[in-house]
Amino acid sequence: MALLPMLLLVSSPALLAQTVNPLEGDPRAAFAGGALFRAQCATCHGADAKGISSIDAPDLTLMWSQRQLSAQDVFDTIRNGIAGSIMPPHDFTDTEIWMLVSHLQNVAVAGVIGLPDGDAANGQRLFARHCAECHRVRGEGGSLGPDLSTITARRSLESLLISVRDPSALIAPGYKPLTVITGSGETVQGVLKSEDAFSLQMMDSNQRLRGFRKQQLRSLERPQQSLMPVFSESLLGQQELIDILNFLDRN
Amino acid sequence: MKHILDRLYKVSRNAVCASVLMVSAAASAQSGPDYDDILAGFADPERWLTYSGDYSGKRHSPLTQITPDNVDQLRPVWTFQTGTTTRGRGFETTPLADDGILYVTGSNNYAWAIDARSGRAFWSYRRNLPSDLTYGASAPVNRGFGMLGDRLFMVTLDAHLMAFDRRSGDVLWERELADYQVGYSATLAPLVLDNKVIVGISGGEYRTRGFIDAFDPVSGERLWRFNTIPGPGEPGSETWPDDPEILASGGGGTWMNGSYDPELDLLYWGVGNPNPDYYGDLRPGDNLYSNSLVALDPDTGELQWHYQFTPHDLNDWDSNHMPVLADIDWKGEPRKVVMVGNRNGFFYVLDRVTGELLLGKPFTATTWAREIGEDGRPIVLNDGSQGCVPDPWGSTNFMPPTFYPGLDLFILTARETCATFIPEVPANTPGQSNFGGTVHIDAEQGSGALRALDVHTGELVWEFTYPSPTFGGVLSTASGLVFAGDHEGNFMAFNAETGENLWHYQTGSRIWGAAAMTFMLDGRQMVLIASGTTLTAFALPE
Repeated sequence: MALLPMLLLVSSPALLAQTVNPLEGDPRAAFAGGALFRAQCATCHGADAKGISSIDAPDLTLMWSQRQLSAQDVFDTIRNGIAGSIMPPHDFTDTEIWMLVSHLQNVAVAGVIGLPDGDAANGQRLFARHCAECHRVRGEGGSLGPDLSTITARRSLESLLISVRDPSALIAPGYKPLTVITGSGETVQGVLKSEDAFSLQMMDSNQRLRGFRKQQLRSLERPQQSLMPVFSESLLGQQELIDILNFLDRN
Repeated sequence: MKHILDRLYKVSRNAVCASVLMVSAAASAQSGPDYDDILAGFADPERWLTYSGDYSGKRHSPLTQITPDNVDQLRPVWTFQTGTTTRGRGFETTPLADDGILYVTGSNNYAWAIDARSGRAFWSYRRNLPSDLTYGASAPVNRGFGMLGDRLFMVTLDAHLMAFDRRSGDVLWERELADYQVGYSATLAPLVLDNKVIVGISGGEYRTRGFIDAFDPVSGERLWRFNTIPGPGEPGSETWPDDPEILASGGGGTWMNGSYDPELDLLYWGVGNPNPDYYGDLRPGDNLYSNSLVALDPDTGELQWHYQFTPHDLNDWDSNHMPVLADIDWKGEPRKVVMVGNRNGFFYVLDRVTGELLLGKPFTATTWAREIGEDGRPIVLNDGSQGCVPDPWGSTNFMPPTFYPGLDLFILTARETCATFIPEVPANTPGQSNFGGTVHIDAEQGSGALRALDVHTGELVWEFTYPSPTFGGVLSTASGLVFAGDHEGNFMAFNAETGENLWHYQTGSRIWGAAAMTFMLDGRQMVLIASGTTLTAFALPE
């Protein structure tokens, strides 16, 4: 028994160095990392670290929650780059890289903070009734809207409330509404997944993936209104919404 | 300006040298093209011997087998897989064609000799690059070989010029252009003139100083260097602070190919952004010869004239574009002009003898400036700090445009973007990029288009729109066709007169920086485009 604490003492600094940012929590490190980021990284990743899709530079504010990266993973990516991609290796000092990691941890989307208590079981029932036709949680549900399994880790409480009460305020790429009339006269409503000058790729409201050549369409419209219904308080009370978020947050 | 007699002497001397070389070429049927062959441009329909097909940069082929009437029959003949990727950038090369063989460079300094009939490689080469590349790591691209006789020339991401034997792929020699660890790299297709190989340099995002070099193709000896940022006391240095350190790291990359007028014996080359890119307070002044077109004497590298498109650039709007040379009627007079579609959003026509500005007109919705003043300088309305000017990738970029003679259309890829520039004091660390600030790009406001401009007025004649800002280059053929690529991966053909889309093929990856080339093979017109990791050859059915 006497050996065990000794081993832990010996091994823990090494263990920590491989997983935890040694500068974590130091606001000066995050500040300095921010300056370094803007000078060295922002041309590709954007000043807000949200990425530039046209050059495949990913949104770095979402990487922690979406990809479950450790600080060491991010450190290694900055150090070594990504082979075969535009992301080069960097010869910053270790401290500079940890400063960058601090900055990225700082700008990471924190998700829902201060969620009021609610009844998660009731939230689950409400989710099944109102949301699951289009949204998926832990593998259950539809595909017309975004998967909500980790949404409370990626979006703030305020922005989630807005998205439910006013779904057209911000429509994510991949979910922009679209209505086409085909050559045979069929009206197809759905969301745009991709398009080029000659074709479009959409999911129709029956959640069927469909591809069309634009020249074969009679019409193509891009409504500003999201396919998601507006959930006003009369349709979904504030406490009911909190219950749903408690259900989602439990995931 | 060089004396006109010097030029006439040079032209006749070239002719004598060329005829001597032709005799030796006839003695050995296996020899590759000589200077006279490159000078002849498209005269031999089975050859494509230099980056743009000829020295003028028009990228306008005289071939007419593929027409607006039959282009819908165009189909892939083969696809060559390079096995090397450049995620975020592109496969930007233009293959050279001679005697049924394609000479092709790829990303990460791969290269091949490929059988144009089958798409199979004779040899392949891969440079063993250092692991600590600087600019070369973030843009690991290459735009093609230069060729002379049995030699091929390629520049590298660690800033070297290499010569290969075209039959074996063996390396004959290599020369360092500059120290890559400071930030230098090289990506363009060397331009081969009479016994000279001309190259430029990348790295204006680092603390570098741009230059154009000429090398002896046989010995590899450097013949001259033109520094794009003057030294202390040299002409142009008055447009910079009186500080040798700032001049020695003022940027001004030369990373895109130039063009050449053999009659005037002038070399035309675009120069990139000053460094730091976005932060101008450390470099008050116009910062010559950044963001300029320079005309050089190819024998000495001496500057003959320059025109600066974007004085004191704050937006990374390198002027590294293909200068397009044409002889056109200008207000009733025959005129030798050079045309540039610029990253700053303006289309320019200059007299290429004197550098006089004839026309400067916006071809996008740029809010940076809308007109050029009487003094030839832009009337700047928004330096970028107030938002919504063309992004750092520009209103167009290095992807080659085409000029269609007769129709007098300049056809280029236009990018409509909206960016706000946020300057910040830079760190000035050698070996690290030194932008001096950041950019916020509003991705929602991006789109692209293929646009045809009347070169006499700069007016839009036709356009074909794309869903996103595009980097594909353009080729035209004398049968009335335009070939272009888009960011969604389509390789397309258009009616040159009307802009009507006549054909498209989804290549599977964005066409980025590359423009098509075309040549005859066994009586069949081939059209080639590089896209993603593939090079695909198209032709009409046999």
